[in-house]
Amino acid sequence: MTRAAAESRPGGGGDAPGTYWLLWFERSGAASYVSHLDTVRALQRTFARAGVALALSGGFRPKARLSLPLPLPVGAAGLDELAVAEVADGAPPPARALGALQAAAPPGITPLRLQTCAMRPRPRALEARYAAEMRGDPGALVAAATWFAAQEGVTVERVTPKGRRTLDLTRYVGDLAVQPVPGGAHVTFVVRHRHDGAARPQEVIDLLAGRAGCASVAHHLTRVGVSYQGLPRDASSGGEE
Amino acid sequence: MQTPSTASERSCPSGEWPRDELEDLLSRVTRPGRYVGGEFNLRLKPQARPRVVLSYPDVYEVGMANQAVQILYAAVNDETPGVAERAYCPWPDMGDLMRARDVRLWSLESQAPVAACDLWGITLPHELTFTNVLEMLDLAGVTLHAAARGEDEPIVLGGGPAVADPWPLAAFFDAFFVGEVEGRVAELVEALGARTRAERLDQLGRVPGVWLPPRSAADAAGPPARRQVFTEFARTMPVTRPLVPLLEAVHDRAVVELMRGCTRGCRFCQAGMWYRPVRERPVDLVVEAAARTLAATGCDEVSLVSLSSCDYSAIGEAVERVRALRPGLRVSLPSLRVDSAAVRLGRFGAGQRGSATLAPEAGTQRLRERINKGVDEAQLMDAVEAVFSGGFTGLKLYFMLGLPGESDDDARAIAATATKAAELARRVSRGRARLSVAVSSFVPKPHTPFEREAFAGEVVLRRRQRLLHDALPRTVKAAFHDVSGSLVEASLARGGRGSDAFVEAAWRNGARFDGWRERFDLRAWSTAAASCGVTLGEPAMTDPATAPWREAVDPGVDAAFLDEERRRAEAGLHTEDCRRGECGACGVCGGGVEMEVVA
Ligand code: SF4
Repeated sequence: MTRAAAESRPGGGGDAPGTYWLLWFERSGAASYVSHLDTVRALQRTFARAGVALALSGGFRPKARLSLPLPLPVGAAGLDELAVAEVADGAPPPARALGALQAAAPPGITPLRLQTCAMRPRPRALEARYAAEMRGDPGALVAAATWFAAQEGVTVERVTPKGRRTLDLTRYVGDLAVQPVPGGAHVTFVVRHRHDGAARPQEVIDLLAGRAGCASVAHHLTRVGVSYQGLPRDASSGGEE
Repeated sequence: MQTPSTASERSCPSGEWPRDELEDLLSRVTRPGRYVGGEFNLRLKPQARPRVVLSYPDVYEVGMANQAVQILYAAVNDETPGVAERAYCPWPDMGDLMRARDVRLWSLESQAPVAACDLWGITLPHELTFTNVLEMLDLAGVTLHAAARGEDEPIVLGGGPAVADPWPLAAFFDAFFVGEVEGRVAELVEALGARTRAERLDQLGRVPGVWLPPRSAADAAGPPARRQVFTEFARTMPVTRPLVPLLEAVHDRAVVELMRGCTRGCRFCQAGMWYRPVRERPVDLVVEAAARTLAATGCDEVSLVSLSSCDYSAIGEAVERVRALRPGLRVSLPSLRVDSAAVRLGRFGAGQRGSATLAPEAGTQRLRERINKGVDEAQLMDAVEAVFSGGFTGLKLYFMLGLPGESDDDARAIAATATKAAELARRVSRGRARLSVAVSSFVPKPHTPFEREAFAGEVVLRRRQRLLHDALPRTVKAAFHDVSGSLVEASLARGGRGSDAFVEAAWRNGARFDGWRERFDLRAWSTAAASCGVTLGEPAMTDPATAPWREAVDPGVDAAFLDEERRRAEAGLHTEDCRRGECGACGVCGGGVEMEVVA
């Protein structure tokens, strides 16, 4: 079915005012360990439990129309994540729906706020801010970040199902800051999402760990916020826009 | 994720569970979501005592589909002062890491060590999960042999259908519960309040249905435990707030158990003997349960489950009324009876435009009569026609090989039946039909009329699989059960006293996840068999003629009834379903236990 056909379908949404909802939510704890698709399913189920019907795609196996514009890595929490939902006719007012969604969500998924949108939003992530803790020698971790800041290019190799590719991390990672704490460091950085892709947070952690000679494990990896293009004014995430 | 600090002192000794360490493990395994809980309808009672951990000895996704764990989880948490948490068998990647880092198995709810709970209840679905029980005990740091467990270790209680013969696991469990536990949960939890381990075990041993295995080879076994029947089944609301995983489930549907028990009397079927008598929930209760479960799960499909849902007395009304709960709601029945009326009911399920399944079990009328299947070829073909004229595009037929009295010709006859069904399917569906057959191996099970029959053995099963495979047309896809797994199943299903040593030897040789074809390790089992003097495929450490399982378990079904059914099988005589005809005097009813069917 074409998009135009789907949008003109009765009950299928279309661009009527209030049909598109932007749901901002937190993902934390146990929910951090599920995949992108599982998170989508958990949110779809949350809507169903809350009694808010989502519009359905066409075809033999209709799917509820809800998507997450920027997948969160498995193992990462997200403080202010975005879901775009297309609700069916007869949905309750968003102010009332938020409470129902909060009551219906599983542990680890917390709906924070809802905004309606008259037109189908097409958000594109520009930047995502991350924070994590690493265990190891604090001085070595600080030195690793200092080294990275001084480089013009840092090439890393990525193994994908389609084969190996290299990317220059300095194009995609900015504002890398390492704060020493007892037994390790608190690390923050920004991942820039360009038209040709983005760095993975784990690639930043791997780089620091490799330079500092410590375990490549990001503890409490958290996406603090994301800047989007293509959202209505005042729709942003993470409190900085 | 809840931090360990939410758990009580006993369940979370300070410093034992650095969160970092767990996070580190999770970052290194496949599907870390298996180990963290966080499901919809999760219950958290961090301060409650006693602390019970419930387990299903397989990987999380498989265990989450088990209804017994869901029932017990709700019963302990919602109806007793205690708390129930869960743990499943870590997949080998996680198991290996836990050993390497000396991290002990934790419960999903509190992340506290399983070893620190008061009672560890493990449901035992079938023999090919037995080595996973040992794996879990070991990963939890719980002493493997019950006789050697210390005062602070949990009481390990086994339940579920494989308790029909508890001998192959007797050394590893402190106690077994035989039968349906719902009516005894409060008593079990109360027994845990006793001061010492010995007192707790003593109290548990007084709960009807509990069997305490002998603690040494010299000890005599205690009296057999009578299988418990949940007599309030028909008046009790089923679980309506089940746990729903965030990880993708194999079947994403709300489940309502509308009936328990089946008295069709298939002579190979252990469940048919084990869950007697039939008890049906009233339609109003079924509809109410479906409405509540749909609301609590957010599912868009309801499955009305039982051993044989099409036999539920008001199945048509139940399906119609559940469908009316919500426009477009799908209502599925897990197994369709082999008749056209039943198949027509199946069209309301997710299977519409998908696949239906029918189980004729045998290829000849003679053999179907011997197993009391009560289905003839005309009924089967009617059902096949109904499947494809009703909109299904696929059909899977279930058959068994190795049934008592079976010959090579019976195996070939399965191919003839499947070929005829495929031709009919092609005609009715104008060439769009897909027909497949799934062929399992018959393993004689305790407490059935065939409990003393011989297992067909590897050579016969492999020959008949080949015969059938060669005789089937290419258009019919066939899937055969792995014979090696059946050999182990056959040795354990009727294992005698001492057969626990065989299970332990196999586990020590590396056997685990035996029900997973890709992980099944025949070498581990063959070596164990050689060292324990067991012939694979033969009942381990026993002569089945002595029926050693009856020393531990009184199933309620009389041995005389089973013997008579065996005689009738040999004579090819049909035994009527007692729900529709006369009481067959199986011995189950009486003393407050009775059949309950809706008008
Ligand atoms: S005692 Fe009679 S009525 Fe009861 S389950 Fe057995 S055969 Fe059926």
